[in-house]
Amino acid sequence: MHVIETQNLYKEYTQKFSKQKVNALNDFTFNVEQGEIFGLLGPNGAGKTTLIKILLAITFPTNGSAKLFGTDVRNYKAKTKVGYLPENHKFPSYLTGEQVLSYYGQLSGMKAGADMTKRIDEMLGLMNLTQWRKTKIKKYSKGMMQKLGLAQSMLSDPDLIFLDEPTDGVDPIGRKEIRDILAQIKSRGKTIFLNSHLLSEVEMICDRVAILNKGDLIKEGNVDDLTKAENIFAVHTVEPISMEIKQKVLAVDANAGIGEKEINTETGTASLNKIIDVLRNCNINILSVNQKTNTLEELFINVIKKDNTN
Amino acid sequence: MLTIIQNTFREALAKKIFIGYYIFYAIVILIMIFLVNMDSVEGVMSLADSKMLVQQVETGFLTISWNLIIFFSLISTASFIPSMLEKGTIDLLISKPISRPMILFSKFLGAVLFVFLSMVFLLGSMWLILSLKSGYWDPMFLLSILWITLAFATMYSIVVIIGLTTQSTVVAILVNFFLIFVLCPLLSTREGVVFTLVSNETVKFIFDFLYYLLPKPGEFRDIATSMINGDQINMWKSTANAETGLFTVSCFRQLALFCLCLLLWRILYFTFPKKITNNNYQ
Repeated sequence: MHVIETQNLYKEYTQKFSKQKVNALNDFTFNVEQGEIFGLLGPNGAGKTTLIKILLAITFPTNGSAKLFGTDVRNYKAKTKVGYLPENHKFPSYLTGEQVLSYYGQLSGMKAGADMTKRIDEMLGLMNLTQWRKTKIKKYSKGMMQKLGLAQSMLSDPDLIFLDEPTDGVDPIGRKEIRDILAQIKSRGKTIFLNSHLLSEVEMICDRVAILNKGDLIKEGNVDDLTKAENIFAVHTVEPISMEIKQKVLAVDANAGIGEKEINTETGTASLNKIIDVLRNCNINILSVNQKTNTLEELFINVIKKDNTN
Repeated sequence: MLTIIQNTFREALAKKIFIGYYIFYAIVILIMIFLVNMDSVEGVMSLADSKMLVQQVETGFLTISWNLIIFFSLISTASFIPSMLEKGTIDLLISKPISRPMILFSKFLGAVLFVFLSMVFLLGSMWLILSLKSGYWDPMFLLSILWITLAFATMYSIVVIIGLTTQSTVVAILVNFFLIFVLCPLLSTREGVVFTLVSNETVKFIFDFLYYLLPKPGEFRDIATSMINGDQINMWKSTANAETGLFTVSCFRQLALFCLCLLLWRILYFTFPKKITNNNYQ
């Protein structure tokens, strides 16, 4: 059984004044397995938030179906094992941090009592908010609110957590802490569905990503597979590469890119070894040999540009 | 359900306007303590005189303050629904394993219970003071707590409907002001005033139609005062107003209005999901 399962999801909006139809999601089919950290990427207006809202039955698809743990999302009981941190969440400002957790914990089905109090203590401790527990949240900073939101989403120990921009407004140290917490949750077999604009963060955390553009799923796969650039290598030398050596290198790989102390080849290991032989025969010392990888950001930009051109 | 009701109480107590009302209620109670003196007329009054005086004070107070109490209660609770529907709040509520009608019903019930307790404080204290001072213990005045809460609940159903459709507290208050102080009193007196001026049958039908359709906070007051005075209350026709009775002004209308709210809540989500939940989509 998949944790998240969608079949041909289609969502159409009608714009308020122009009455123009907007396709927020087009024939969207994908699954998320247990224990994965799944990242959802896409430019603004790609349909990311719409997808999360459909999965949580906050809004409904025009066509298609979505299931959580095998139960149709329209059945509210499907959300029993789900935690959610919305983007720009708004907690009742008259509550303290502790009361917020207690309120949303009970709405998630937790029973008020010693167990819940213990869990709240644990969550506040994890987010470094213990000393603020009795403070009204209207006095909290944005970063503290975000941490409280994250604590709220994890409080009932859900099996699936939706996080919409979880590190928004959090400082770099806080971000690192959140990443560590997410890794810890994952190690306990929980599934995380992450929507974030911070691609470097997604790259660090996620196992699998899906890239959306204008409602279409244009790329999906493991982060390692998607970012791997198999045949691209860079050779760095200690000494500068002379014109004579450049000619010899170009003789074995005509497309090699040659800098002052760097040679890039995109024709695989055979060509790489020949270049290394040339350099060693010319008594050039090799500093390093690296296989190149694309960053998720590079991949994202390339994929979106290509899709927009098409 | 209890969690949302409890949170509605917290929301109410966090509002300064409620503290203001309680101070006002406390002043009214203090006035009752110091000004109402049953021994003032030629020594000690007879029980019959005390009964009459108590009834007069009770009915007089209800007649003067009924609509004001309901309206002020509505002002202070009108923001509950629009604030619940704010982006970032409603998303989180709906993501929890609770049905939408249950969220709305709990919020509604929370507001009604809060007003009920406020009335217990105000009218209960008044009843206690009057009873202690007069020696005449009439439980009928205590029933006014229920009637005024029911009248509030009926009007609050309209606030819920307006809150769901417009997400505006101001519009909800304005519509209620118009209903309580203009339209409903006008419709109540339509036979005695309007129909003597208008002969057109269609207009009469419209007035009749609106009268039976819209809530009648004034008729709730009539039932409450009739009970205090010991008049007979018919389930279908009250003695105070020959056309409306206990059942027609309370249970039926309340149920109908609340069902309408629930229906609207579902329709809004299925037909106009963008209106509430998708202020921006990405």
